[in-house]
Amino acid sequence: MKKRIYHNPVGVGKYTGLMLIIPFILGFLLFTLYPFISSFILGMTDYDSIREPVFSGLDNYASMLKSREFRNAAWVTIKYTVILVPLKLTVSLAAALLLNMKLKFMGVYRTIFYIPSILGSNLAIVIMWQFLFTSDGLVNQLFGLAGVEPIGWYGNSNGAMAIIILLRLWEFGSAMIIFLNALRDIPREYYEAANVDGCGKIRSFFVITVPLLKNVIFLNLILQLISAMQEFNAPYMITGGGPMKSTYTVGMLIYDEMFRYHNAGYANAVSWTLFMLITAAVILLFALTGRHKEERV
Amino acid sequence: MKKYFMAAAICCLITLSACGESGKTAVEPDGKLDPCTLRFSWWGGDDRHEATLKAIELWNKKNPKIEIIPEYGGWDGWTEKVSAQISGGTEPDIMQINYDWLISFSPDGSGFYDLGKLDKQIDLTNFDEGVLSFGKSDGVLNAMTVSVSGRGLFYNSETYKRLGADYPKTWSDLIALGEKFSSEDIYPMDLDIQSGGTAWYLAVVYVQQQTGRSFISMDGELGFTEDDIRNALDFYKLLEENHVIRTVDVRTDEDGSASLYQSAEFIDGRVAGVLEWGSSVGKYEMALPDGVLEAGPLLSDDNGNCSGWMIKPSVMYALSNNTQYPDEAAAFMDFMLNDEECAEILGTTRGIPSSRKAEKHLEEKGLLKGLAQENDKLLENLDTVTISPYMELSQMKNIYNTIIEQVSYGKLDTQEAAHEMYISITEYLEKIRK
Repeated sequence: MKKRIYHNPVGVGKYTGLMLIIPFILGFLLFTLYPFISSFILGMTDYDSIREPVFSGLDNYASMLKSREFRNAAWVTIKYTVILVPLKLTVSLAAALLLNMKLKFMGVYRTIFYIPSILGSNLAIVIMWQFLFTSDGLVNQLFGLAGVEPIGWYGNSNGAMAIIILLRLWEFGSAMIIFLNALRDIPREYYEAANVDGCGKIRSFFVITVPLLKNVIFLNLILQLISAMQEFNAPYMITGGGPMKSTYTVGMLIYDEMFRYHNAGYANAVSWTLFMLITAAVILLFALTGRHKEERV
Repeated sequence: MKKYFMAAAICCLITLSACGESGKTAVEPDGKLDPCTLRFSWWGGDDRHEATLKAIELWNKKNPKIEIIPEYGGWDGWTEKVSAQISGGTEPDIMQINYDWLISFSPDGSGFYDLGKLDKQIDLTNFDEGVLSFGKSDGVLNAMTVSVSGRGLFYNSETYKRLGADYPKTWSDLIALGEKFSSEDIYPMDLDIQSGGTAWYLAVVYVQQQTGRSFISMDGELGFTEDDIRNALDFYKLLEENHVIRTVDVRTDEDGSASLYQSAEFIDGRVAGVLEWGSSVGKYEMALPDGVLEAGPLLSDDNGNCSGWMIKPSVMYALSNNTQYPDEAAAFMDFMLNDEECAEILGTTRGIPSSRKAEKHLEEKGLLKGLAQENDKLLENLDTVTISPYMELSQMKNIYNTIIEQVSYGKLDTQEAAHEMYISITEYLEKIRK
């Protein structure tokens, strides 16, 4: 086979590498680092996004701690994350295991399972979701056929939380794809050898699959945790944060304070607090799983 | 490498801070109309959208050198959208604004363009001094009032006829209707805790009528006592208990977070009444077959006292401080307010025009009709209360809605709720008046 020769159009000079990454660096500086630092500074000001900001030290953080609304939003966000993330990991792993089997038309099944994740929580999906769960929506109609009493989804706190969790759970595709790739990397020989030694399928799962997927499970856990703690779209569009703020996440609080109540200083302080909460949660997970030690080995 | 990175970061930050717009002054008018493209934004229902797009078409035909680009949508989320635009300095040149935006965006009159400088383009003589004063912030004319309208009661005539019910005239009539409607498990009226916040507004009318006190004064002082607030909440609870309106729980289960005019309950006539501004009732009217929605009497107490009903400048037009073409934008604003042909197209989709010229033309053409006009007539002879812009602030609506929700779900009794509401409102008004 003929060896391919690659030509570098910019030449290979001392700063070529730097030049090539400049678009990324510029984007990072402009759209990540600058807002990140500005947000921290604005969080220490009294700012209504119209008039000049006035430095107010840690006042925003102090009033945040006193605010019942913030405490509620933080609690809702944590509750939502703690319920959703394990469920989503379980469902996506289960789906990945199914789709890893050797069956006809597997490519089609994989695509079908991934569709909800592509659709995301766009408006059409949200409207569909809204109608599915209204008092005489499809879900309650199906319950009726099965002889189950209809549920008031939107009207009670648990029902409203369940609607949002179900929407996100339905979008398990991206976590599933990561699991599926990792599963395909596990050599089949391991299972065959285990089978010869009399190991059943369930035991193989726990002694072969889970240990070998450890890193991927952790990766998915962190990714899902971060996106769950930043949740905004689904409760904003489906429940409006209700009833009685039971689905009112920190993301919604930031949005309302920023754009509806014109408290830009406070909104930035809440953003930073959310950032710190997420960081703390990630550090905690690293500590609990003993990963910080593992890296040093 | 670290040093380079830090240097690049610092340079970037300095450049960006230098890009800040502090100290930027508005473009002065030059009295000429130059060719340009302008953006005009508004919110509303389909009736308003259709009419406004036709009006823009007419303008673009008459003034091909000044092109207008429309930006429009529903009311939900509109304040947030414009708020983000204003913060970023990317707002449209001409904006339809709400009454309370003058406080939020221009408390000292510097947030919108000073229309006083543009009297060559905008014919202010068509407006009463009182109407003009609604658009002033700290003495600066920031906005033009398009119409003044009041919240009125509108009913689904078919449902009422089918049940043999008359539109209520007094609060007692309204409460009595609950029983008649409950036999079919439908409702004579709807009140919500969404962006319109009609639940609290009707309760305020009830107490204003009883006490003669305004809920909030024009300069942002709370006029109600804690007892007044409790009285209002008791009244709301009474409506729920008597099957006049759906509880928040039932309403949310049935409609999700959809607006009433988009909900199956309203469209199918199972919820047969609504409290709405005359200027915005078109979207409800369009959701039902022609002529089904009718304006009903404004409720009075048993002694015939019908005061306390609210009016406000329902929509206003303002110009962005960042517009590069103030003369041209003002000329378009004048067209929307005073042009007779345009008035004919717009009709009453933004209420009865405040411009005398536009109103007279509509009257002559026999176009001063419809629900907005009927509601206006009902309010004309009453001792109305012009509501304070402070009442309409988003955070205030959040306070009303949160408390009403707690009362509806029985989490707070009305005494506790009134206390909490009184404290929250007093604290917030104090903060915002600073």
